[in-house]
Amino acid sequence: MEQAPEYVIEMLHITKIFPGIKANDDITLQLKKGEIHALLGENGAGKSTLMSVLFGLYQPEEGIIKKDGKVVKIDNPNDATALHIGMVHQHFKLIDVFTVLDNIILGAEDTKLGFLEKKEARKKVKELSERYGLHVDLDAKIEDITVGMQQRVEILKMLYRDNEILIFDEPTAVLTPQEIDELMTIMRGLVKEGKSILFISHKLNEIMEVSDRVSVLRKGKYIGTVNTKDTTKEELSSMMVGRPVQLVVDKDEAKPGKPILEVENLTVPSKLHKNNAVKNVSFTAHAGEITCIAGIDGNGQTELVYALSGLEKANAGKITLCGEDITKASVRSRSFAGMSHIPEDRHKHGLVLDFTLEQNLVLQRYYEKQFQNAGFIKFNAVREYANKLIDQFDIRSGQGPITIARSMSGGNQQKAIVAREIDRNLPLIIAVQPTRGLDVGAIEFIHKRLVEERDAGKAVLLVSLELEEVMSLSDRILVMYEGEIVGELDPKKTTVQELGLYMAGAKRDNTEKKEGQA
Amino acid sequence: MSGFLKKNGTRSVLATIISILVGLIAGAILVLIVGLTSSEIGLKGAWEGISLIIAGTFSTGRDAAGALSFGFNPQIIGNMLFRAVPLILCGLSVALAYKTGLFNIGASGQYLAGTCATLFVALSIPAGSLPQFVIWLLAFLAGVFAGALWGAIPGMLKALLNINEVLACIMTNWIAANLVTWMFDISNLKNAVEGTKTGYIYKTTYGLVNVDGVWTYQDGLGVSTAKLGLNKLFPGSQVNAGILVAILIAIVVYIVLTKTTFGYELKACGANRHAARYAGIHDKRSIVYSMSLAGALAGAAAALYYLSGNTELYWSVYQKLPAEGFNGIAVAMLASCNPIACIFTGLFMSAINLHGLQLANLTAYNEYITDVIIAVIVYLSAFSLLIKTWISGRKKAAKLKPAADGKQKTEKGGAA
Repeated sequence: MEQAPEYVIEMLHITKIFPGIKANDDITLQLKKGEIHALLGENGAGKSTLMSVLFGLYQPEEGIIKKDGKVVKIDNPNDATALHIGMVHQHFKLIDVFTVLDNIILGAEDTKLGFLEKKEARKKVKELSERYGLHVDLDAKIEDITVGMQQRVEILKMLYRDNEILIFDEPTAVLTPQEIDELMTIMRGLVKEGKSILFISHKLNEIMEVSDRVSVLRKGKYIGTVNTKDTTKEELSSMMVGRPVQLVVDKDEAKPGKPILEVENLTVPSKLHKNNAVKNVSFTAHAGEITCIAGIDGNGQTELVYALSGLEKANAGKITLCGEDITKASVRSRSFAGMSHIPEDRHKHGLVLDFTLEQNLVLQRYYEKQFQNAGFIKFNAVREYANKLIDQFDIRSGQGPITIARSMSGGNQQKAIVAREIDRNLPLIIAVQPTRGLDVGAIEFIHKRLVEERDAGKAVLLVSLELEEVMSLSDRILVMYEGEIVGELDPKKTTVQELGLYMAGAKRDNTEKKEGQA
Repeated sequence: MSGFLKKNGTRSVLATIISILVGLIAGAILVLIVGLTSSEIGLKGAWEGISLIIAGTFSTGRDAAGALSFGFNPQIIGNMLFRAVPLILCGLSVALAYKTGLFNIGASGQYLAGTCATLFVALSIPAGSLPQFVIWLLAFLAGVFAGALWGAIPGMLKALLNINEVLACIMTNWIAANLVTWMFDISNLKNAVEGTKTGYIYKTTYGLVNVDGVWTYQDGLGVSTAKLGLNKLFPGSQVNAGILVAILIAIVVYIVLTKTTFGYELKACGANRHAARYAGIHDKRSIVYSMSLAGALAGAAAALYYLSGNTELYWSVYQKLPAEGFNGIAVAMLASCNPIACIFTGLFMSAINLHGLQLANLTAYNEYITDVIIAVIVYLSAFSLLIKTWISGRKKAAKLKPAADGKQKTEKGGAA
């Protein structure tokens, strides 16, 4: 543990205890000047707690923080700002109806006689955006620009405040593949100009690509720091999870059986604009096959799933499930017809957050004979069933079946939903972004379960935004672009690049339909 | 001890007790200030006032020497039990709605609808045409159904048109007030027998009888809630079996909410309408059910109150909504919306009201001081969640944070 001034930030032997958990247990993190330092760990490994300590939100029980070799005390976020530490949060903190410039200067405005003085600010922001290649329209409103642009605004906010140490909290979670590439370029540019970056992530590809060094945390403990160029993805993932992890989904050739879900000319109106969100979509999902709907977020996948699951009404078209016409059926009768559904938004649809875990695990079956008698819930049966699923799917929580769902980590919430839906044992599983925001260990687990279900003869309809997941998990890829299915690809015969072109609308199977999307 | 304190239920009860204590202390301070600044009360009078505020239920008047005496007073306790009935049921009404994600501020209107239907049915069926108990039951059910109907209106507006139930409830409250006034105004149920009284509707003890071809009302021929011997236990009081009905209903509400699939659906829908829809629960229907049940409970409150045979309605209610509906909010909040706890908080609110009456009867104070106490308690009960977090300490709050997986809200610099 040398204490050379080459480190801009040193967090030495940080221990942070919450009642019942040691969130951080003797963690040491040293950030060199001008490096991109990745902080890797599963959900609940203590990354966020550590960053909160650095940001002054929590006071550690033990340990010290040094800036440029000198011990500093960070009691609140203002202290952190004064030390030029800035953070881009996973969920942006921007005001939608303000312009880009107003958002950047918000909280650090120059005023003259109480009036805003934006001329200087504009000049400074312009300068910064040119220097770092962060091109944004300063007068556009936040609500009108893309998520990638919004992130640039967040970065500019940090630069405007002359921050030297930049923390990126899972910055790529919301970006498209192209935007991720751009962000990587920006990050490299930032360190070249002397900034130091802490990059929190659990995506190994990105870490391998952009970082100089990686520190790994596991269950609140510091596992080690390695030079990125001396390590491999496999090594990092086993450091993170504590055992070797299979990064490639291990599966046999699919044996497609009879059609389970048939969709014909489905059209679904959009809630956001006047056009239809889903336009004349037809496809079939077969038993024993993982059919994947790929595409960039917002191209009609959400609406398509809503229409399939009965949450929204379709305008036109026909949906057949196991030979039964369910176009106009209620959610419950679709369920009876054989549909289980892992929803996209686990907080909005997937869970009743204020219910306990066991109540959530029977959300789709509380009315079944085995869980109720004459309208009275059989609490013992529910508890038994919950314990079985908790066991089988390794759902971890503070108090087992009586844990309030809200207090569980995202990964375990998702596991609960996956457990509930898979255990219903229905012929069709619609899985929408089933691994969103999860760490490698959990992703591996969920992928494995989905493949098992496929092999058991279920039809799996996977909707995913993650290229890697699409390529490794699916047996057949349907690409959605602007509400239409623009291509059907075989993951074994296609490349990520080609898939990317389809997703961006630059390429499509049946040409002559529409021209000139960019 | 720490394990006991950590339990959620314990914390709720503690929060409630703290609210009540602070309310009583505030009342006592007020009594003290009024007493010391008034020439006719003084310190001794203030002390009497405070003791009545705290222990008015056990006041037995003044002894021969003129000092306040305390002891078991069956009349006051009986009256407390009687007056608790509408409070408990209105509390349940608010609590049930709240547990299912709705704020029923319309208990007053539902109470009025129940009042109207109960009295019309009880007073319109000729005495002797049906057994008394059947008339009583029909009147009771009429009140319950009218309340349910009145609750269903905001429920449907919420479910179908997404109109906030608070707004709709405020509207339906005043519609009920004016409608009920109008209906009694054109009715022939206005008490015409006792000439000294104006503006009152017959008590339900009056029965409709045909005397030589003319329909008139005669006292003693109508219906009233059975006493079941409670009047022997608490002689001289208004108590009747209504309190037992209220307790029974509270237990039923508790069972429905916690033990049945129906309650599960209602609660799921209240906690997360989207997730309920996703699980195939009819979210719209659930909302209407919740509000109807809440209305039915408020209707039952009115029915039991007016069927007692001791109570009469001043029918011109268009300017004043019945206080029971709003006190129901206090009862429910103080009970953390637990149906069983509503029994106790209802009894407490009833007792506090009676303390006010004792204060006015036995001292120079007026009874409105108890309104201040109730107001303070209501304010504090709204903060009971805050008090609860305060009891469990800041550590617990900090523990929940990392579980939310690090979405800390940090404001950089001072936001404008």
